[in-house]
Amino acid sequence: MEVSDSISPLKAKESISNIKWKFSDLIADYEIRERWEKVRKYFFLRESTYDMSNRCNLRCDGCYYYEGEKQFAPENGNPEAWAKLMREEKARGITYVVLAGAEPSLNPNLLQVCYDEIPLGSIATNGFKRIPESVDYMIHISVWGNDNTSSRVRGAKNLLKKQIENYKGDPRAVFVFTFTRENINEVYEVIDIIAANYCKITFNMFSSPVGYTGSLRHNDESRALTRKAMMDLLGQYPDNVLFSPYSAISHTHSQSLHGLFSCSYPRMNPSTDIGLGRSFRQYRTNLSWDRSAACCVPDTDCADCRHYASGSAVVTARLYRHAVNPELFKSWLDYVDTYLSIWVRGYEKSKNLCDVMYAPPGYEL
Amino acid sequence: MSQSKTINAKDIILKIAEIIISELKLEDITPETFNPDMDLVDELGIDSMDLTTVALVLQDEYGITIDEDDYPKLKSIRLIAEYIQNELNNKN
Repeated sequence: MEVSDSISPLKAKESISNIKWKFSDLIADYEIRERWEKVRKYFFLRESTYDMSNRCNLRCDGCYYYEGEKQFAPENGNPEAWAKLMREEKARGITYVVLAGAEPSLNPNLLQVCYDEIPLGSIATNGFKRIPESVDYMIHISVWGNDNTSSRVRGAKNLLKKQIENYKGDPRAVFVFTFTRENINEVYEVIDIIAANYCKITFNMFSSPVGYTGSLRHNDESRALTRKAMMDLLGQYPDNVLFSPYSAISHTHSQSLHGLFSCSYPRMNPSTDIGLGRSFRQYRTNLSWDRSAACCVPDTDCADCRHYASGSAVVTARLYRHAVNPELFKSWLDYVDTYLSIWVRGYEKSKNLCDVMYAPPGYEL
Repeated sequence: MSQSKTINAKDIILKIAEIIISELKLEDITPETFNPDMDLVDELGIDSMDLTTVALVLQDEYGITIDEDDYPKLKSIRLIAEYIQNELNNKN
């Protein structure tokens, strides 16, 4: 694979018009206005995240859960305590929950408790154990390569087969392929299998935990190859791939998401005036939380964070910087439309408005 | 809308209220009944995306630039009105 081919078949543009558009002129365009009205209905979403278990049935190289202090928090398995927490969260304005670490499917009763109180949310799982249908959240199933790689990096045999058995035809399910430095070419065989089973897939970038120096960490070459793979597959599998050109740019850029957009999660944002800095919390399994550590991927190195969960909030929050010309605003709308289709049950992704890769505001491609 | 002349503070307050009501699709409230000192975050529950949207519309309406870093200052309609008047004065 040649890096120089990395943006074919779609075009790329390094620079765009310097003219600053009025917002009213941007949304005067029918296509833009329609998409704007579609996505803005979800501006009410306010998330927090919750570790549901400190146990996992796999042990993956580079897992951020088993970094830092949070892994040592004892589990609170009391459904009443969780129901009370969810009611309190709702009362302070949380409308969306992300249930994660270490492996949430090991505590299905707690997932049900959360769903019964706050019905919008998602679960990050390895997909090894099926989550009951009564928990009608989006389910993100992590894929780290083909089965050989899964055996080596995650210690799991026939994992993709098992994941598909569990979630084939399930409208809650989105497979999340995490690109590492080592598995880029494997995405092609994985997506063939995903598509043959009519499943949906989106892309994540391995983002190193603090202090991680292992072989999964991306470098310039691997980010370029990953960008090419993302764009190839976006073109080849439009019915299966939930992604956009601007997603590819934002997540494979030489700058991390924090570098590009200034992360708005509390860990990197001291302001408590409004937005994520004010409302976001990341609860550990003992239902405690720590503002200084709170973000959607705690213990990830912010300078290397290109995580899909982080981007969904960090890129979206920068509406102001993207509402400057039609191309960039359409790119942002595609990004938000993509993230909503991955995170919100029943939200259907539309065709991307922009098939050209534009650089984030203030940066080159 | 040209802003070369001084605008009455009450008119700005009513216009901001009208924009917030329209953009946030608020019901059971009119520009006249909207308390200009209501805390938009604490009392109305406005979030950053809503505030950004309102700021973008206000920029168009008054021909000013509202810096992203200034959003936390815009906590009530009265404070927004003062901000706009300052920007218009600086511009003129």
